[in-house]
Amino acid sequence: MRAGSEVRVAVDVGGTFTDIALMADNGVLHESKISTTPDDPSIAVVDGLIALLDELKIAPSAVAEVLHGTTVGSNTILQRKGARTGLITTRGFRDVLEIGRIRMPDMFDLTWDKPKPLVPRRHRLEVTERIAADGSVIEPLSEGDVISAAEALLADGVEAIAICFLNSYRNPAHEQQAEAILKARFPDLAVSASYAVLPEMKEYERTSTTVVNAYLLAAMRSYLRRLEQRLAAAGIAAPILVMTSNGGMLPAATAGDKPVMVVASGPAGGVIGAARLGAALSETDIIVFDMGGTTAKAVIIEDGRPSMTSEYEFRDGMSTSSRFIKAGGYMLKVPAIDIAEVGAGGGSIAGIDAGGLLKVGPESAGAVPGPACYSLGNTRPTVTDANVVLGMVNPKSLAGGRLAIDRRLAEEAIREHVARPLGLSLEDAAHGIRAVANAAMARAIRAVTVERGRDPRDFTMMAFGGNGGNHGVDVARQLGVRKIIIPPFAGVFSAVGMLAADVEHTALATVMRLLDTITPTELGEIMDGLAADVSARLAAEGYSGNKAELAWQAEVRHEGQATELPVPFEATGDRFAQIRERFFAEYFKTYGYRDQTPLELVKVTVVGRGLRRNRLDFSNMRIDQRPGAARSGHRLVSFTRGEPAIETEIVPRAAVGSEPRRGPLIVEEFDATIVVPPDTSISRDRTGNIVLEIGGQA
Amino acid sequence: MNVDPITFAVIKSGLDSIADDMAYTVVRIARSEIVKDVMDFSAAICAADGQMVAQAKTIAQHLGAIPQAMEAVLAKYGDDLHDGDVVIMNDPYHGGMHLPDIFMFVPLFYEGRRRAFAVVICHHTDVGGRVPGSNASDSTEIYQEGLRLPPLKLYERGKLNETLETLIKINVRVPDRVWGDLSAQYAAAQVGKRGLDRLFHRYGADEVEAYMQELLDYAERLTRAEIRQWPKGTYRFTDHIDNDGFSDKPIPISVAITVRDDGTLLVDYTGSSPQVKGALNSTLSFTHSLTYLSVRCVLGRDVPNNVGVFRCLEIKVPEASVLNPVMPGPCAARALTGYRVFDTMLGALAQIVPDRVPAAGEGGNSVICISGLRPNRKPFIIVDMICGAWGGRPDKDGLEAVTNASQNLSNMPVEVMEAEHPVRVEEYAFVPDSCGAGHWRGGIGLRRSYRILAPEALLQMRTDRVAFRPYGLAGGEPGGPSRNSIEIDGEVKPLPGKVTMTVPQGAVIVHDQAGGGGFGNPFTRDPELVLEDVKDGKITAEFARDRHGVVITAGRLDLEATQRLRQERVA
Repeated sequence: MRAGSEVRVAVDVGGTFTDIALMADNGVLHESKISTTPDDPSIAVVDGLIALLDELKIAPSAVAEVLHGTTVGSNTILQRKGARTGLITTRGFRDVLEIGRIRMPDMFDLTWDKPKPLVPRRHRLEVTERIAADGSVIEPLSEGDVISAAEALLADGVEAIAICFLNSYRNPAHEQQAEAILKARFPDLAVSASYAVLPEMKEYERTSTTVVNAYLLAAMRSYLRRLEQRLAAAGIAAPILVMTSNGGMLPAATAGDKPVMVVASGPAGGVIGAARLGAALSETDIIVFDMGGTTAKAVIIEDGRPSMTSEYEFRDGMSTSSRFIKAGGYMLKVPAIDIAEVGAGGGSIAGIDAGGLLKVGPESAGAVPGPACYSLGNTRPTVTDANVVLGMVNPKSLAGGRLAIDRRLAEEAIREHVARPLGLSLEDAAHGIRAVANAAMARAIRAVTVERGRDPRDFTMMAFGGNGGNHGVDVARQLGVRKIIIPPFAGVFSAVGMLAADVEHTALATVMRLLDTITPTELGEIMDGLAADVSARLAAEGYSGNKAELAWQAEVRHEGQATELPVPFEATGDRFAQIRERFFAEYFKTYGYRDQTPLELVKVTVVGRGLRRNRLDFSNMRIDQRPGAARSGHRLVSFTRGEPAIETEIVPRAAVGSEPRRGPLIVEEFDATIVVPPDTSISRDRTGNIVLEIGGQA
Repeated sequence: MNVDPITFAVIKSGLDSIADDMAYTVVRIARSEIVKDVMDFSAAICAADGQMVAQAKTIAQHLGAIPQAMEAVLAKYGDDLHDGDVVIMNDPYHGGMHLPDIFMFVPLFYEGRRRAFAVVICHHTDVGGRVPGSNASDSTEIYQEGLRLPPLKLYERGKLNETLETLIKINVRVPDRVWGDLSAQYAAAQVGKRGLDRLFHRYGADEVEAYMQELLDYAERLTRAEIRQWPKGTYRFTDHIDNDGFSDKPIPISVAITVRDDGTLLVDYTGSSPQVKGALNSTLSFTHSLTYLSVRCVLGRDVPNNVGVFRCLEIKVPEASVLNPVMPGPCAARALTGYRVFDTMLGALAQIVPDRVPAAGEGGNSVICISGLRPNRKPFIIVDMICGAWGGRPDKDGLEAVTNASQNLSNMPVEVMEAEHPVRVEEYAFVPDSCGAGHWRGGIGLRRSYRILAPEALLQMRTDRVAFRPYGLAGGEPGGPSRNSIEIDGEVKPLPGKVTMTVPQGAVIVHDQAGGGGFGNPFTRDPELVLEDVKDGKITAEFARDRHGVVITAGRLDLEATQRLRQERVA
C-alpha cells in the first residue's frame, strides 16, 4: 500500500457476526467477518478491523473514516440495560407512558404480558404547568416543582431525566425552561426534552420517544466513547459516523445526543447500499430482501428512494406486518426505513402444531447450537437442515470449509419432527419447510408492497444476507418478481452499503392547516426556517455549497384523517400544485378510490444531505473476493417437490460469465449460496453482481 | 378433499394478512376518532356462502356477529349480488348489533363467480336519533336511536346509490365524518379484493375456495379436540349489570354451560333478565358473538378465528330477554351487556378450565359522550371510551391500562381531543387502590376528567360496576368500584353510573373506572410485590395492610409485623 493513501471502513455489528467492508482509495473493496463480542461490541469492531488491516498490510493511520452500524441501541432496550430514567411531566399525566395506546397485539389472548414501561411510576413525577392546545399558557411552570422533582429523582438513583409536557409541540417554552433549570442545577445529568427529540402531536408517542432517548443516552455515549478510545489506541484517529434508522449518517457526537435516531441502525446499511447499487444499475424500483440466520427483512425502494415510516414499535427486535397494532412495544416516533421483518431465517425451527399444521419459526436455533446439521446439540430441524437435505447448501461444510456439516443429522431431524407426523417423504418434508419459510418471507414482502397498493411484479429484487441468494428465486416466484440481483459480498452487504451513505440531518415543522388556507409566502417562511436549521448543522460538519443537498417532503391527508401520505416536492416551481398532484396520485394508488374532501398539510420535512467525499460508487466498484468452499464440482439438488433431484454443477462466483446461462446451477461463496433452478438463467455483470432471470410460470 | 399441507399454510396466512391489510386501510383513512384513534371497527373475509374464514386483529366482539348479519344479507339478496355491489346494514333486527355499527358487505367475484365477501364494520360517530352519538342508554325504543338501515345496496354494479347517500347524510349530525368513514370501509374492501384476486390468480379460485372450507373444518377440529379434554358436566354462573338507568333494579345475566362428550358445548342463558326498558338490550347476534369469543379466549392460541369454532357451540337464549330483545326494544348501549355476558361466561368457564381464566376485569369500557355546539354554532361530538383493567390471573397479576379482552380498543390521545374539541382533559391516570386484592392482584382502574370549554354541553355516560364490582376468583377480592362526579363552580357532586344531562361551561366531569378482581388469597401475596406497588403509588400502605396484611412503614417492609398480622387475620 502506498504511503499517504486513505481507506474507508464500514463495520456492521450483527447478533452473530460483525461484518466489515473496507474500501481502499483505488476503489477496491475487501470484506471480513468476525464473531460479535456481545458484552462490548467495540472489541470485535476494533479486533476485526485491525486483523483486516494487517492482512492487507494497511497502516491504521490510513483509515480516514469509520462508518458504523450498531445494535447498541436496540440491545440496550432488549436487555433493559439503559440508564435509570426519570420523567418529569404535566400534573395529571404521569401515567401517559404506562397507559400507552391500550391495545393488545393478539386477540383472545388472556395470557398476554404488556411490556413494563421504561420508567416505573415512582420515577414519573408531575409539575404544575399547563399549555393549551393552541399553545397559550394556562398555568405557568412552577420552577420549584421542577427542582424538587429532580432532587427526588436523583435521591432515588435516577441517572437520566426525560421532560415531556402536554401540548409542548405547540409551545415548547415550559420544556425549555425546565431543561434550562436542570442543566444549570445538575450540569452532569443526562436530560432529554421532547421538543428537541420530537416536536409532534400525540402525548404518548412523544413521551415514549423522549423517554427512550433519555434511557439510551448514557449507553450510547459510553459505547461510542469506548469505540473511539479503542480505535485511537489501535492507531485509528478517524472520525466515526453512525448509521441512523433512516439510512443517513450522523457524527458520533450527534448520535450520542439523539440515540433514538440510531436504534434501528443495523439493517439500514444494506437498504442504502441497495438503493445506491440500484441507481448505478438504473434499477429504481427494488424489493430489498435480506435473509439472515434468524429473521428476514423486506423493504421497498421506489424511484430510487427507500420507503420510510415516521414511527415504529420496538418489540423484541421483531416487527410484524400488522403495523396498525399499537401495543406491546416501545413506540419510537422517529423516521426510519420501513422494514417488515419476519422470524424466518436459516436457523428458524420447523415443527407441527396441535392442529397438524406445519410451522417454521419464529423460534430460532441461532448460531449456537445452530441447525441440527452443525452437530452442536440441536435435534430439531431448521430451514438450513432442509436446504442441506435438498442439496441446496453444501452438505459437507460451510464458510470456506471452516464449518463442518453432517447431512445425516439434518435428515434425522426432519424425518422425526416433520416427515413422519405429516406422512410425507423426507424430500417432501424438506420442501415443505422451505415453502412455509418462503411463504412467511413473501408475507413480509407483501406487507411492504401489496399492502401499500404496490404490485411486486413491477420490482426487481435485490437479495443478500447469508441466505438471500438461496431463497431469493423461490420467494420472488411467489410474488411474480422476475429479476433478482445478488451483489458481491452479499453476506456483509449491510457494511458495504454504509460506504455509500451520506451524512443526513432532518428538520420538520408541524403545520396542521388546510392546504388551501396557506399562502405561498407562509409556506416559503416555513421552508426558509427549516432550510436554515439543517444547513447550519451540515455546515458545522463541513458540508456546504455543492456538498450539501436539501430534499423536501410534505405530509398530507384529507381533512379529519389520522394518517398522512408523504409527498416529495421540489423547492422550485409551484409547490402547491406539486403537492396536490402527487398526493392525489398516491392516494388513488394506495386506496383505490378518489376523495374530494379538502387537503390538510400536516408537516413539512426537509432532509439535508452532506455528500461524503469518496463515498462508494457502485458503478465503478471493484472487489477482492474471498474464495468459497467449492472448487467447481457437482451434486444432486432437489429443486422441485415431487420431481427427481437433478445433477447440478457447483461453481464459485468468479466462474459465472457475462452471457446468461440456464440453471440448474449452485454458486458457492465464502459466506453465501446462490440457488439457480433449471428455469432460471444466471449471468454476472461487469462489477460482479449476479443477475438471475426467472422463467417458467410466475 | 386432498389437502396439501403447504398450500394450506400459505393460504391460511394469506387470508389473515389480507384481512389485516383491510384493517390497516381503515385506520389510515377514516375520519372520526372513534375509528382512527379508538379503533372501534373490524374487518373480515367470508367465503362465497357467507361463512367467515378470517378476521383482522380488530374488535373481537364483532367477530361472531357476522354470521347473522350475513344471513340477513343473503336472505334479502340471495343471487342478486353482482360484481361492484356494496351492501350496507346496521339494523339490530336484521342481524346488526346496534345502529352506530354499520356493516359493509362487498361480494368479490373472480372468473365470473362470487368467490368471497369482504366485510368491514365501523362504529360511526353518529347515526342520528334523539341524542348525539346515537349511543344513549336511556332510549326506550329503537326508533329513538337513529337511522335504521336494513340490508341495502350503497353501490349497484359499481354505481353509487345517490338516494341512499342523500338519506344517510341528511339523517346524521356529522355527515362528513360518517361519509368519510364509509369511504374508509369501501377502500378497505377494495384492498381486500386486490388481495384475494392475487390469491385466486396464484392458486386457482376453486382451489382457494376449497381451502377456505378446509380452514373452517380445521378450526372445528382443533376446538372439538380441546373441548373433549374438558371435564363433563354443567357449570353455572351469574353476574349483574347495576341497572338500566331507569330504576335501581339489578339486571342478572345467568349462564349454564354443559360440556358434552362429542366436544361441543351447550350454552344456555335461561334465567337472565327479561328485556329492559333502557337501551342495554343485546341483540341475538351480539349475544352469540360474545359467547363465541369467551370460549375462544380459553382455547389454544393456534385456533383460527373463523366460524369453524362456532360450530362447536349450541346457544339457547330466551326470547324477549335482555340477551334477545324483540321489537321495538332499544339496544344502543348493548355493548355493556355484551361485556357482562363475557364476564358471566368466564365465570362459568373458570370452573371448567380454572388455570386459564382470570378474575373479572373492569367490566367493559365506559362510554363518555360529550356533545354540543362550538361558539361558531358548528356541532362537535366526542365519543370517548375508557379502558381498562384485567382481573388477576392464575399465574400472574391482571394487566392495567389495557383494552378489555373482548375488544381491542385504543384510546384517544389527549392532545388530539383538545385540538379538535372544546374540552380540556385535566387528568388521565391510575386510580390507586382500585385493584382487587389477591395472591395475584387485579389491574388498577383509570381516571379521565374533562373540563367543558364550550358554552354548554350534553353529557352522556354509560358506566357500570358501581354496585356490582368485578368479581374475584379463588379467594381473590373484587375490584374497586366505578365512580362518576361533576364539579361545578368548585362544588363536587357524585353522579350515577348512567347519565344524560346538560352541563355548563367550566364544569369538570370525572370518571373513575373499576379495577380488576383479584385471583387467590390476598394474604399469600409476596410482600415484596406489595412493597413495589406501594413504592409506585399504585396502592397505599393502608391498602397493603388492610387487604394484603403487609405492613410497610416509612417505605420499608416490616416482615415480622407482616407475619404477625397475617397470622392474626387467618385466625
